[in-house]
Amino acid sequence: MSVAELLPLPEPSIETEPFWAAVQERKLLMPKCGKCGKVTFPPTVACPHCDAQAFAWTQMSGRGKVFSFVVMHRVYRAAFKEKVPYVIAVIDLEEGPRIISNVVGMPIDEVQCEMPVKVVYEEVRDGYLIPKFTRR
Amino acid sequence: MRDKYAIVGTATSDLGRTGMDSLALLEQAMRRAIDDAGLKVSDIDGIICRGPDNIYTQHQRMGARLGIDVRFSTTLTNGGASQILSVALACMAIDAGLATTVITGYGRNSWTRTHASEGTRTSMELTPDDQLPREFAPEYGYFGAVATHAFGARRHMFEYGTKREHFGAVALAFREHALRNPNAVMKKPLSLEDYLSARLIAEPYGLFDCSLVSDGAGATIVTSLERAKSLKQPPVVIKGFGTFNNTRGWLVDDHMIRTAAIGSSQQAFKMAGVGPKDVDTAQIYDCFTGMVIAQLEDYGFVEKGGGGPFAASGALRLDGALPTNTAGGQLSEAHVEGMLQIVEGVRQLRHTYPPERQVKDAEIALVSGHGGNTVCHSSLILGRAA
Repeated sequence: MSVAELLPLPEPSIETEPFWAAVQERKLLMPKCGKCGKVTFPPTVACPHCDAQAFAWTQMSGRGKVFSFVVMHRVYRAAFKEKVPYVIAVIDLEEGPRIISNVVGMPIDEVQCEMPVKVVYEEVRDGYLIPKFTRR
Repeated sequence: MRDKYAIVGTATSDLGRTGMDSLALLEQAMRRAIDDAGLKVSDIDGIICRGPDNIYTQHQRMGARLGIDVRFSTTLTNGGASQILSVALACMAIDAGLATTVITGYGRNSWTRTHASEGTRTSMELTPDDQLPREFAPEYGYFGAVATHAFGARRHMFEYGTKREHFGAVALAFREHALRNPNAVMKKPLSLEDYLSARLIAEPYGLFDCSLVSDGAGATIVTSLERAKSLKQPPVVIKGFGTFNNTRGWLVDDHMIRTAAIGSSQQAFKMAGVGPKDVDTAQIYDCFTGMVIAQLEDYGFVEKGGGGPFAASGALRLDGALPTNTAGGQLSEAHVEGMLQIVEGVRQLRHTYPPERQVKDAEIALVSGHGGNTVCHSSLILGRAA
């Protein structure tokens, strides 16, 4: 069994399934409130900012910046043995939501807080894409 | 509730690499605490435990092990903030007339459990499988509490110029305290060079920024101050407690650098009628070095951003301005999710330590608890009986 086969794929919930389906089309969709215009992710029933129940899945720009990040050195799962060191980051999307992702495609020692980034789509395995981010 | 209730008994289990079950560790700590108080098991009429770890360390199971039915018992699920919350809830239960003598405690066998096989040792996973995240974490190689807290450490460095040497000062101070504690797991001196050259885990955190994977349990017994005065030990008075939970999440706003300790400490100081300047010793939840620095700021011992230089000044040492984690803390004594911090706060106020371990003239001890997916906080202020 090759190491790559063990890499975990996300397991979408009932609420996040539209997000992951859109990612496979290289789109970043998140719920936007039809009343106050704020974007909430992961999804909720009503908008936590204005309590309206008026969400619509809306395409994000894919632009953001790094709020914080760590460089993972320790291997917690065998699948990541050949991946270390890698960057896990907290990304502030331009539209508001803050999400976990990886920063890729650049020297690790150049990653910084507040660095502007844009989304890229990377295959985990078996053609399944997940959104990651790189310097812009 | 200021000065109405007291901790009259406290103890730890064996610590370190025990090969014991987590429930057995807690039973051992509880029985020792009952002995310490000079009470009988049958005097206990309330049990409050911290809830699910891998094995459910529940109040029912402890009642069964101790062989008692009780008037009040429950299990809390605020993670590392549960231990202080248990003491607070014990006061509230007694105040409401639901019990008279409540035992609280928590036990875990993190070392034994994670060394059962190569797979468990590698993953170091203490969260039950059904509670592990299924998305927005594993696919990014994001596992464990180290990375979560290291996000905060990194942002603190960015915002305030905090350095790894500042984090190191926390680890060094607590290790020095552990060397004075014969029951502490870590026995070797730690230098700044050792700290900086240790392997990295989730940068900026390296090995010595992380609390121990160890077995252990602790317990306390709470009763009225009036009753405490006729018991065996010098009573340690509960002056105040507080809680605050940043339930919107660790990643929201600036929660990872301005923690729920802010709201929790304000409430506790208000109830106790004291402030940060009155605290003689602090027992701070030290899951990671950076969390100590953030809490020193959030509790008002220093201004925001000043925690790193404060630690580096030697303030946390036994002879420093704020002797902190004087038994070695979770970084060097044993990691029992804040339970041992309560035990140490009580022991310092009894004034029964030999001089090399005693905080001189300690009258007020502050204890902090942090956990529950990093968003829950609880604070306890203890004092000596008048």
